[in-house]
Amino acid sequence: MFKTRIIYRFITVLLVFALMIVVPFSLSVVKQAQKMIEEEEKVEQVQSEEYRNMHREFTDRLVGQMLPFIFYILVLSFIMAIFFLRTLLISLKNLQKGSRALQEGRLDTRLPVISDDELGDVTRTFNDMAESLKNKTLELGKKDLYINAMLDPLWVVDIEDRVTDINPAFTRLFGYSRENMIGSSVYDFVDERNGSILRRQIEEMLDRGESSIYEMNVLSKNGVQIPVLISGSPIYSGDRIVAKIGVLKDFREQSSLRNDLQQSLDYIETIMDSIPDEIVVIDRNYRINMANRVSMLNAERDLTGELCHHALHGSSVPCWTNGFECPTQIVFSTGKTHKTVHEHLEPDGQKKYHEIIASPVTDPSGKVLHVIELLRDITDRMKSEEQIVQKNMELTALNNISSILNRSLKPDDIFAKVLDKMIEMLDMDGGGIFFLDEAAKEMTCQYHKGVSEDYVKMIGRIRLGDDVPGKVAVTGQLITTSDIAKDARIERSVMKHSGMRGYCCIPIKGKERIIGVFCLFSFQTHLFTVEEENILSAIGEMTGMALENIRLYERMRSLFEQQRNRWADEHQQLLHISGRLGAAVDIEDSMKQVLGLMKKVFRSDFVWMLSHDQGHNLLLRFATEVSEKEGTVVYPSDVSSIEKYALSKRHSVVVNDIRSEEKFYISQDVSSYHSAVAVPMFVGEKPVGVCSLYYSMHREFREEDLRFMEIITNMISVAIERSEFYARAGKEKELADTILQSVQEGIMTVDIGGRIISVNQAFEKMTGIRPERAITLPVCEVFRFSEENISFRLLLGESVEEAKQGISTTRSSAVTTLYGNRVPVTITSSPILDRNGVVTGIVNLVRDVSREKELDKMKTELIRSVSHEFRTPLSAIVGMTEMLLHGDVEDEKVNKYLGTIRNEGVRLSKMVTELLSIARIESGKETLKFSSLDLNELMKEITEAFGPLLSNKNAVLTYDLGGIRTIVADEGKLKQLLINFIDNSLTFSDEGCIINVAAKRHDAMLEISVTDNGWGIPDEDIAHLSERFYRGRHGDRVKGTGLGLALCQEILSMLNGSMSITSKLGEGTKITMSIPHREVP
Amino acid sequence: MSKVIVIDDEPFILMMIEDKLKKAKIDVTTLRESRNALAVIRQHKPELIILDWMMPELSGIDLCKMIKADPELKDIPIFMLTAKGQDSDEQQGIQCGVSRYITKPFSPRSLLEMVQETIGKS
Repeated sequence: MFKTRIIYRFITVLLVFALMIVVPFSLSVVKQAQKMIEEEEKVEQVQSEEYRNMHREFTDRLVGQMLPFIFYILVLSFIMAIFFLRTLLISLKNLQKGSRALQEGRLDTRLPVISDDELGDVTRTFNDMAESLKNKTLELGKKDLYINAMLDPLWVVDIEDRVTDINPAFTRLFGYSRENMIGSSVYDFVDERNGSILRRQIEEMLDRGESSIYEMNVLSKNGVQIPVLISGSPIYSGDRIVAKIGVLKDFREQSSLRNDLQQSLDYIETIMDSIPDEIVVIDRNYRINMANRVSMLNAERDLTGELCHHALHGSSVPCWTNGFECPTQIVFSTGKTHKTVHEHLEPDGQKKYHEIIASPVTDPSGKVLHVIELLRDITDRMKSEEQIVQKNMELTALNNISSILNRSLKPDDIFAKVLDKMIEMLDMDGGGIFFLDEAAKEMTCQYHKGVSEDYVKMIGRIRLGDDVPGKVAVTGQLITTSDIAKDARIERSVMKHSGMRGYCCIPIKGKERIIGVFCLFSFQTHLFTVEEENILSAIGEMTGMALENIRLYERMRSLFEQQRNRWADEHQQLLHISGRLGAAVDIEDSMKQVLGLMKKVFRSDFVWMLSHDQGHNLLLRFATEVSEKEGTVVYPSDVSSIEKYALSKRHSVVVNDIRSEEKFYISQDVSSYHSAVAVPMFVGEKPVGVCSLYYSMHREFREEDLRFMEIITNMISVAIERSEFYARAGKEKELADTILQSVQEGIMTVDIGGRIISVNQAFEKMTGIRPERAITLPVCEVFRFSEENISFRLLLGESVEEAKQGISTTRSSAVTTLYGNRVPVTITSSPILDRNGVVTGIVNLVRDVSREKELDKMKTELIRSVSHEFRTPLSAIVGMTEMLLHGDVEDEKVNKYLGTIRNEGVRLSKMVTELLSIARIESGKETLKFSSLDLNELMKEITEAFGPLLSNKNAVLTYDLGGIRTIVADEGKLKQLLINFIDNSLTFSDEGCIINVAAKRHDAMLEISVTDNGWGIPDEDIAHLSERFYRGRHGDRVKGTGLGLALCQEILSMLNGSMSITSKLGEGTKITMSIPHREVP
Repeated sequence: MSKVIVIDDEPFILMMIEDKLKKAKIDVTTLRESRNALAVIRQHKPELIILDWMMPELSGIDLCKMIKADPELKDIPIFMLTAKGQDSDEQQGIQCGVSRYITKPFSPRSLLEMVQETIGKS
């Protein structure tokens, strides 16, 4: 019943109390009673047995009487004790229960406070204790939760560096279980190197008493080193550090990121280094952050960290502060890529060109953080461009010079013009020509340019061998100097102190001697290239040859004078030859005829010309008749022949009997002949070939014939040379043309990734997009600047995609250009294939088809107006016939209806005819048929044709042809024009009008005018008369097609003619056509 | 009082329409010039106007606009009888308040039917 031990103890105490108090008390009471009885017995001396017995019994009775009492006291005190202890017991019991509940973990247990005594206080304290215990437990539970939920591993290490706790994340990352970890030394989980890091960090942390962050590797359970970032903190207990806690952050990702970053940096560096251009990255302080290998090689030092203006230009302040163009500054201020070309002189005086492309590197907000500057050495390109320009100029000059040489026979004229051309070609400041007087051993200046007369007087005479011209005249070697004042090779010269710098002296070489020299000078230094020197030499030689030709020609003329009779017809023929050769560009064609003429002139039986190839073989070039083809080797280089002999001796060879000369090998083609004359052909010093005459019979070849022959071969040489030159020049021009042709369309070349590699000028011109804006961008992105370009970009994308598959396609679209206008274009994308047929890029041709579209529009417009113009006459035909058929027309009006139908039908048919004529002329199908015709006859014919019309209107047609009768013209066209004009005059005039046709010559034109005294044309109509379907103010008075004058205009433009109209309202009109006058041959 | 006024610079068109409508007992007034047309219309107050588009000096479409702008005349139905056959032209005509847009060449009989229908309605 009572489980409380305190009750038992209480009862025990009570029993002991009872035994110790009640029993002795009872015994003492009994003893006192017995003692009292005995004393009483002694006093009374009652000796009766009964009395004694009674006394004895009294004790027993007393005890018997007391026992219930004692028992009753005991029971009563017990009950009272129980009663008084009840509250105490309940409280105690509750406390016991509560404690047990707490022990079992039921922290919500709260006890009722029963009494207000100490027990009540105890109960309250118990409740508070339970509450705070609960809170603490909750808090601890949360902390545990946090630690367990932590993603980063955590360890707690005691002061002896032993692990006292880890969280689950630690197990997850490293694989160690908590049980294994606890108690182990932290150094068991790191290798030696990381151990020392850890030890040092822990020591520092303990020393300073602050947390620290450091990076190291921890070994995982499977032996992998895991990089972690540890943040370690000391745990204090009071002032004492009792443990350390470390949070280990998994640093694998960061370290791989860092690796990646390093790799991409390396990659960028590799790319930058592998680019053959200089690349530097410049920050806002104009400091170089990065520079590639090429730029360092060029600078011969590491540029990183230097200021860009210092590193690249040696300037202490940014270049733009000195007013120079600084691409970096431009990019920083504009935020856009900037491209420029800088020209500067190297220390060695070489001109260098650098193309600089500066591009911004922006942050997401668009602020330019860095500028990437790419410096490309385009010296070679610029030089070759300059060279091309120079070449073209030279070619043109050469062309001019050779044409002067071939055209003119006046030596002074030739030299003056050639000198002028040379000065122009080389951009010199002046020059002069010195002619050599061999007898006087003196040279005199014959022509000069750019120098004063006084100066010419001073230097006008030079002794042979003196000064530069004198030396050149002796040696025949061209002398050039970039700066005559400083040139050590030229020891003495009057030119040295004349202010001249660039100077050259070109010998004018005749066939065997030097005729004179050309001198050219410039006040600036001028470096003569080998190319220029060659050209100058060639000009010198050509001029010399030309002079020689002239002289020979003059000699030839004197020969003619002497032997006029004999040479009369041959002279004619020779002139024919020279004329032929002079104009011969298609040398092949005329050479055959020239040889034929030579054969005739020299009364020879066979003529051939052998040319000289690189291997010194003699090839058949031209022949009067021969079995071999042109180009066949007649005499190989190692075979001795007459021709070869003549070439090597550089003079003509006459062999009277070719068979008797054993040293010569005779070709089969000529073995049947008896005598031969071989004349070597030279242009300057250059052998061109040999021309030989063969005779069947023995023949004495006279000296004068030989000279004559030499003149002709000389001409042939020059002509051949010139024709070859023309052929070469023609080829070069063709090439240039091809290139020009090919860039008419906008071209974007993209790589296989769809990024633009290059665009051409035409593209830039068409779209306004500058190449630097386009290059490296994905091809569709370039056109993003306008919303309207969405469909264009889509099509372009498709086109490029298909080209990537190797399919060429063409699509029509329209592009909005940077100028904001919309241009209809076609896009043609074609793959660029390498040798294996793999697509390596795509070429996109963007063709501006505005013109085509315009033509289309014009066509539509024409069709529209045609259909419109046709509708009115058709109304008459359709509507009136319908009315006639339905009997809607009264009898008297039927004829009027039919007449209208007919007139409108005729008008319609005329319109169709005229439109077709115009269309035929416009399409170029109409051709001109010229014939000689009698203008008078033509007018007669026309007058007759107009007969009924004229008499209807009582009109008069007159003509005055001003004596012009027979002309050459396209009769049909001329007639059509005249009929149209006269018809117009007749139509727009009143009855009894007078029409006059007049013809006259006006310079090279034939003018025919048609004048009438009709209604005249209002001024506002005149300008529109040639427009199709335009019908002026009189259009509603008379019916017409509105096409007559339009057709006339077309015909006249076909005839290269024109027309003009003068008119006064109410007085009349004069229409004049003007066509080129053609003489009757 | 005329019922129909026809304005066209092409005389034979006027002749055809006049003949056709007169035969159907419809009063017709024809005009070759658009210049004074507005005054004539004001004077006659016709039941229907047939207009050519392309006329010198004042085009039919401008005349149509002028008629529609006149509060007294704006309810008179207008036929546009024209050689301009493009859809865009017709659209423009309809926008200007033309009741019927008839392209040349036309059938006089169907024109008459349309005229009768319109006059009958009004």
